[in-house]
Amino acid sequence: MLDHLTFDQLSEEQKYDHFMDRINRDEKIEADDWMPDDYRIALIRLISMHGISEIMGALPEKEWVPKAPTLHRKLAIMAKVQDEMGHGQLLLRVAEDLMKPLGKNRDNIMSDLFTKRLKFHNVFHMASPTWGDAAIIAWLVDGAAIMSQTMMLDTSYGPYGRALKRICQEESFHAKHGESLVLSLAEGTDRQKQMLQDALNRWWDALLMFFGPKSKQETGHTNVDKNIKYKLRTKTNEQLRQEFFTKYIPKIELIGLKVPDKTVRFDEESNTWHYQDPDWNEFKQIVSGNGPKSDDRIRLRQSSYENTEWVREALGHVKTAVV
Amino acid sequence: MDEQKNGLNPFYEEFEVFSKKKEDGPLQYQFSLLAPNEEMAIVLAKENFFRREKAVDIWVVRRNAIRKLSQSEKESLKKLDKHYRETKGYADLNQRWRNFKEKQDNGTDEKKVEKA
Ligand SMILES: [Fe+2]
Ligand SMILES: [Fe+2]
Repeated sequence: MLDHLTFDQLSEEQKYDHFMDRINRDEKIEADDWMPDDYRIALIRLISMHGISEIMGALPEKEWVPKAPTLHRKLAIMAKVQDEMGHGQLLLRVAEDLMKPLGKNRDNIMSDLFTKRLKFHNVFHMASPTWGDAAIIAWLVDGAAIMSQTMMLDTSYGPYGRALKRICQEESFHAKHGESLVLSLAEGTDRQKQMLQDALNRWWDALLMFFGPKSKQETGHTNVDKNIKYKLRTKTNEQLRQEFFTKYIPKIELIGLKVPDKTVRFDEESNTWHYQDPDWNEFKQIVSGNGPKSDDRIRLRQSSYENTEWVREALGHVKTAVV
Repeated sequence: MDEQKNGLNPFYEEFEVFSKKKEDGPLQYQFSLLAPNEEMAIVLAKENFFRREKAVDIWVVRRNAIRKLSQSEKESLKKLDKHYRETKGYADLNQRWRNFKEKQDNGTDEKKVEKA
């Protein structure tokens, strides 16, 4: 098709066909390349949601920095919180480049967060009242996040893939940190074990929700099909949830914890886990910003954004003074 | 501040970050970041990309100082067949030598047959 024409001479349909050819040949799309609006919008939705989730995701753990039980634990959880903010920086950068042609930037992302137009992962709307919660978050929430991020490493959008590669490298530290916290409590006193079990009970439904609904039936809509067509992702929500069960349920039982769902069982014949669905209406409520901690966390994010405005402004003046 | 709110971050410019892992290694592209000036770009590059990773040198470059290829230019690169510059562009030679060798061998066989 391009043999006798240069790319710029192609019609819009030819450009679209050429784009889909590239997707099907597993080429990576770069920020300045031609892409259909559909693809751009899907990427912006996915990546700004992912990026802001990293930043909001640091908040429940950040609460434990001053209260960590030892200096070593304090340093480690601080490092993790810092990493999560760093992941947010990488991802927002990728989103910004995609939004630029639409005349939008990071300020739009932040204001969409404050007005609840931009959603973030359900798990980060939840409270983390004990050190057991910090352990379950680092072990299982990060474990779940690692699964969905690893699945997207091969995404068709080059800059997102490169960001995910950096992120996944750091996540392997988070997973170890989480295992270490969980094992310490599981090896501990009865009260420590109970604290861990209580935290698992609190987080179980949120963990199942994290992967998203099985299909449209549960919540009315899903972007999974489009994301698979454009090779942004390779697995469905349910495939990831099943992998999560396979990886973690045996470990949960091994350390003497109980999965807070009596119906959970592996069916050899169909090779699938059966489980009690979480309440998908509750999920919708939570991600719309009506979760137990939604308002607190958004308010915290907003006030810190406003309180540091003078820093951004001052730095702007440094530049004008130098030039 | 109004400018910043609806414009494209007038004082936050885009920088591309490169680094070297070893003294004698190649400079590698890392990622991009937003910063108000070069000094802050270096600070943020360390903060964003080198919390663990080793680096012996870090470069930051304003994105608008970089001339990249357009998509047309990138597409035209794909079309270029440069096999003639490489040994693998000449993979047919062995077979062609073998053909001559076979012809020669057959030729002597024929003569032998004639003589006999
Ligand atoms: Fe992360
Ligand atoms: Fe993490």
